[in-house]
Amino acid sequence: MSGSPAPTDAVVACRDLRKRYGTLEAVAGVSFEVHPGEVFGLLGPNGAGKTTTIEILEGIRESDGGEVRVLGLDPRREARQIKARIGVQLQTASLYPYLTVGELIDLFGMFFPRRLPLQRMLDALELNDKRDAQTRTLSGGQQQRLSVALALVNDPELVFLDEPTTGLDPAARRSLWDVIRDLRAQGKSVLLTTHYMEEAEVLCDRLAIMDHGQLLELGTVDELVSRRFHERAVHFSDIAGLEDPQMRGFPGVKRVAHEDGEVLLYTADVPATIGAVLAAADALAAPPHDLSVRRASLEDVFLDLTGHALRD
Amino acid sequence: MDALLALTVANMKSFVRDRAALFWTMAFPVIFVVLFGTLFGGGGTADYRVGWVDLDHTPASEQLEQAFSRLGVLTLTTTDQAGGLASARTGKLDAVIVVPAGYGAAAAAAGTGVARGVGSGGAAAGLGGSGGGAAGGGARPVAALALTLYTDLSHTTDAQTLEQIVSGVTTGVNQALSGRPPLLSVQTRPIQGTAAVTGATYYVPSILAMALMQLGVFAAIPLVQQREKLILKRIGATPLPRWTLVGSNVLLRLVIAAGQTIIILAIGIVGFKVQVTGSWVLIAGIVALGALMFTSLGYVIASFTRTEEAANGVTQVVQVLMMFLSGIFFPIDLMPDWMKSVATLLPLTYLGDALRQTMVGGSPFVPLTVGLAILSGWLVVCLGISARYFRWQ
Repeated sequence: MSGSPAPTDAVVACRDLRKRYGTLEAVAGVSFEVHPGEVFGLLGPNGAGKTTTIEILEGIRESDGGEVRVLGLDPRREARQIKARIGVQLQTASLYPYLTVGELIDLFGMFFPRRLPLQRMLDALELNDKRDAQTRTLSGGQQQRLSVALALVNDPELVFLDEPTTGLDPAARRSLWDVIRDLRAQGKSVLLTTHYMEEAEVLCDRLAIMDHGQLLELGTVDELVSRRFHERAVHFSDIAGLEDPQMRGFPGVKRVAHEDGEVLLYTADVPATIGAVLAAADALAAPPHDLSVRRASLEDVFLDLTGHALRD
Repeated sequence: MDALLALTVANMKSFVRDRAALFWTMAFPVIFVVLFGTLFGGGGTADYRVGWVDLDHTPASEQLEQAFSRLGVLTLTTTDQAGGLASARTGKLDAVIVVPAGYGAAAAAAGTGVARGVGSGGAAAGLGGSGGGAAGGGARPVAALALTLYTDLSHTTDAQTLEQIVSGVTTGVNQALSGRPPLLSVQTRPIQGTAAVTGATYYVPSILAMALMQLGVFAAIPLVQQREKLILKRIGATPLPRWTLVGSNVLLRLVIAAGQTIIILAIGIVGFKVQVTGSWVLIAGIVALGALMFTSLGYVIASFTRTEEAANGVTQVVQVLMMFLSGIFFPIDLMPDWMKSVATLLPLTYLGDALRQTMVGGSPFVPLTVGLAILSGWLVVCLGISARYFRWQ
């Protein structure tokens, strides 16, 4: 899927996108496409250039070079038309603290040629009981839902979400994930940035890994992982009498490792390896505890790509 | 257009709901008006505490004391000379009046017998001056007796006022004793043609100018705030044209300016008897021009400050300098030369001048058209600088 020629109807297409701040090359030649109806993620640590990239696409920042098309339009010349059809959520935006939720959503609706009814926004973002609350009284999760609501007032075809769940507790994060899944179900395209692995894995149909202004890898989560890590790890609690040399001889096993009282067998053939483990354990009359299979995660991919962990 | 209106309404709601901002914008000028009006209101009754030292002790000197008391502005305390002066030095008294011994005798000689006090005519005794009664501050012909007035020169204005009060009374006494109606008297009339011109007449337009200046200059702060909090950026990500955003901010300022003008004028007119002589349309126009001009100066400040703290600091400096160097509270003619040349550069000078001319017919520092042209010039320059340097993010 990735690397295939761009479908002509890509909602976002950028080629060799560049942006420089002084001596810092914040975006250093980034190319990718977002297809209609997909949730596309830009994954990377803070300072990777995700926000700059997304803001150029939104038409609120000018690029220094490269080709960009958003909904088939050029953000340099047709920003107004683009802005009417996209939804934008910025990283931090506590807007008009003294307006109520209802007033603020109505106000933003006035900025667009077409808008959804307030009630629908309140329902979709579960803000009904906060309609008459001044926005300064909202919790972090409610603020974030409001800022997503503002991104949706114009019923956009394409939604940009910049770190939508940063700083939220797990429950609030999950409720926002539901909102994003709902957008996809409505056939909208979503481009989001995140530095949460789990979020990228759970939400994104495809994603691109960014670091230091460059796009390192692009594809579905499965593609990204299997492209780099062919093996999976079969792991279980140590079994007395089962030694490394014997396990190294199990079918498919490439490598044996120990971690916190667990054995990890890196294997290219999970069923055969598990069969051998069970047979050996049976012979020792010691059934394996906590037997499970783990594939490499995005975290492993990121570590492998950049040499550092994805932390901020 | 709908968006402009909606945004302006949103701005106004925010402004009204932010109690602190509302209070400072509306209450501050009110406090100023009341304070200045009370201090310099003219019509007010300044009360002076005066020590009364009577070395004469005759009915004539007692009548003189009553004459002073009747004025209503002096509170007389009978004392001896040394004690009175000591009290004056420690600030317990504002002045001391000493009636010389022999006053009664002199008055009797001059009048029909016993001086009958201020206001009641004595028989003519053909006095060219020889037997003159009480003499004021100094130069009086021949054998005149002198009332001595001790004043505190460190309170120049008070001292001058007291001297005038005392002179007034003594002149009256002299006249009464001479029995002649005064040939010449002075009648004070305001050139504005209004009945009562009080100090507030001068200060109310000044305070209005000050309020408009602050209102405009302080526009920098919410702007920088909105930029820092990415509100400007967020709105920039909608198709809303930027002029709409600027327009709604300016509209908000104009509405507040109108509110301030009404409040300040109402207090001036009702509380301090300021009479507005000029055209209301012209006044409204000048208020609008002033608000626009200073709001554009606020945009200039916001163009060169990044953080709210910086904007706050710059705004304070600008407004304090404007307030004290622009002659809205001190007549420019009384300023030292260097200050005068600064004042002639500052726009607030011309806004105050224009408002004073229009509202109460104050004497012009520059002709109205020149003042308005200078304000418009400032507006254009500030707009140009803002358009060039203002950053939305």
